[in-house]
Amino acid sequence: MNRAVFLYVGVLLTVLLSFTGLVSIPEKQLGGLQPLVDADGTQYPVPPTGMVAEGRGVYIADGCIYCHSQQVRPEGFGDDIERGWGTRRTVARDHIYDSPPLLGTMRTGPDLANIAVRQPSENWHLLHLYNPRITSPGSNMPAFPFLFRKVPVEVQVPHDALSFPPGWEVPGYSVVPSRRAKALVAYLKSLDHSHPVPEVPQ
Amino acid sequence: MNPIYAVVWGVVALFGVTAVYGLVWAIRSGQMRDFGRGALSIFDDEEPVGMVTDAFPGGQTADGETGDRS
Amino acid sequence: MNAATSSDAAPAAAWRAEVDASCAYPVVAFFVSAVFWLLFGTVLALLASIKMHTPGFLSGAEWLTFGRVRPVHLNTMIYGWGSMAGVGTLLWLQARLSRVRLPLQLPLVVGCALWDLGVAGGSIAILTGHGTSVEWLEFPYGWSFLFAGIFVVVMAASLMMFSARRVGHVYVSQWYLFGAVLWFPFLYVMANALIHGALARGVVQAATNWWFAHNVLGLWFTPIGLATVYYLLPKVLGRPIHSYYLSLLGFWTLALFYNWAGTHHLVGGPLPAWLITVGIVGSVMMFIPVTTVAVNHHMTMKGHFALLKVSPTLRFIVLGAMSYTVVSFQGSLQSLRTVNEVTHFTHYTIAHAHLGVYGFFTMVMFGAIYYIAPRLTGREWSSPRLIKIHFWGTALGMAVYWIGLTWGGILQGLAMDNPDVAFLDVVRHTMPYLWSRTFAGVLMAVGHVAFAILVWRMFTLKGRRLPEPASAPVVAMAGGAQ
Repeated sequence: MNRAVFLYVGVLLTVLLSFTGLVSIPEKQLGGLQPLVDADGTQYPVPPTGMVAEGRGVYIADGCIYCHSQQVRPEGFGDDIERGWGTRRTVARDHIYDSPPLLGTMRTGPDLANIAVRQPSENWHLLHLYNPRITSPGSNMPAFPFLFRKVPVEVQVPHDALSFPPGWEVPGYSVVPSRRAKALVAYLKSLDHSHPVPEVPQ
Repeated sequence: MNPIYAVVWGVVALFGVTAVYGLVWAIRSGQMRDFGRGALSIFDDEEPVGMVTDAFPGGQTADGETGDRS
Repeated sequence: MNAATSSDAAPAAAWRAEVDASCAYPVVAFFVSAVFWLLFGTVLALLASIKMHTPGFLSGAEWLTFGRVRPVHLNTMIYGWGSMAGVGTLLWLQARLSRVRLPLQLPLVVGCALWDLGVAGGSIAILTGHGTSVEWLEFPYGWSFLFAGIFVVVMAASLMMFSARRVGHVYVSQWYLFGAVLWFPFLYVMANALIHGALARGVVQAATNWWFAHNVLGLWFTPIGLATVYYLLPKVLGRPIHSYYLSLLGFWTLALFYNWAGTHHLVGGPLPAWLITVGIVGSVMMFIPVTTVAVNHHMTMKGHFALLKVSPTLRFIVLGAMSYTVVSFQGSLQSLRTVNEVTHFTHYTIAHAHLGVYGFFTMVMFGAIYYIAPRLTGREWSSPRLIKIHFWGTALGMAVYWIGLTWGGILQGLAMDNPDVAFLDVVRHTMPYLWSRTFAGVLMAVGHVAFAILVWRMFTLKGRRLPEPASAPVVAMAGGAQ
């Protein structure tokens, strides 16, 4: 045998080795994680269903992940907890039903792991999606007017029309969220990772 | 069984076969015996060491001078 | 001087012309496609950049929303521009280094056309809301089969040339190319199966995602880029690489360490600490291959920097090689937890990624195309002025981009790690730097347009005919060899 053995096997093994280390072993270690079931029978986490699952689809299709993370860093590493983005770090168990997990790598906007806790108002979310500058002056988030439709007020004022703060009304029209806007808000209002987990001591 | 496993193991097998083939071929042809002269292997008599093989169009330098052309 | 060539029946220039000619159709197809995607990706980059500081810009249409335009920019640049320029260069380098005619010419041209369709289809899918939001793998699952299929042809052509080689020695560039062509399909198929095929679940998909995304740079673009530099730098200068031993050491340490580095993208995330630590160790170990490459390239260039004025190729690849050194040291440092705590989740990372994919790889590909294209067409580049506009536009653009977003990213990270600064104030602080990126993007775009004009004229045979067919302008340098 000569050096060629080392070279050829090496080329292949290097990448197989990292595949084992970074993918296979974690799968073995984490793939079997189970949800928690409380004394009263409630389960955490729960798989997304219905409007929440639909809203997750909108979140993916419109690329929210490119500006918003969904992960809370541990105490003492960054100030995620001090900022009120969560009460504990997030762990692998939080994401067992997420395929793909939407952890994100960018915080042009704030973290959303616990946005449901921070911002429970449906109207706030809808206004914010319609035009982020209404609720958050100076924000550089894009508006999503295409998730809404405008109905002339003389035709009707639908029961689910947005209620604008003074100065932001659209004259002559009421603004009605589409099903996709409502689904996206349902998803955002499901983002709550405050449930205690054994991995993070209280 | 999830059919995706077939894809994954198929790719692994393909890699294995390629590597073994390469290995057998390499041993037979006696590769890697002249590391020392390796650096010179990209030169030859008509593009020898010492010949610069790229220039701005027209053989000009960036300053507009015309270089010697061989 | 060289046993391998002197035993060849044909004179060196004749076989070189024959090898170059055999590459013409496939390599031109890949280069022209690549430049098209470069322009397309540039338009999307400018759109995305403007939207960051002026969110009202073209915000009425869903298909133009930031969250769709940005991934299309990334994917057209990675799979369109970068990979196609890379494959064209890889095929030419393999043919030249093996001294054999390019095989599978028709399948490669067809593959190139299908690849274009794949990038176009994938881009339309993202713009119409079918993107996956898995970074670097945004094209829907189905498209991955197309790319994997085409890759079989590229792999086959590459291995056929490699095994039919007429040179005794395997040059260091061939090791890098051999690695790239074996590694990338494996990474791509595995990542698609595990994530889009949902073989893995939960955060394991995230680990797979970054194992893949980082390796696209580390085990695909980097080896092709370095293979190009290791061939063109000595070829253009007319002097052998400084230390051949170091270059091979660099290859093996890169192969060993780079593919472990990916999980540093998940520092602080919901994954086991050991997994992240492995990523950090892999990243720090990258100091070894990077140092070997940096020393080697610098020592080869030493005393010959004056040639930067003579050779357009040299300008681009030297700038690229320098960026490689900087971006790699930067990458090792930013994987460390204390640095990552500030820079993660900020524009700093974006600046870093562009220094890698643009400052290093794209610059090297520009250099490669300047060298290769005249040898395929037998024509000169039509305008030194446009080459200079291309160089200075892209070089200055990259510098402004990197300085602005690196600095802005650090400020953003420090502000974000300070709970007394309201989040919207963090956003406000980054605004000037986001504007600087748009300015940088315009500079780069000017360079790209100049380059596209040159490439168009080159391949429509508008340039002056070279003195000898398929041989390049050659400047004899007194005392070039030392």
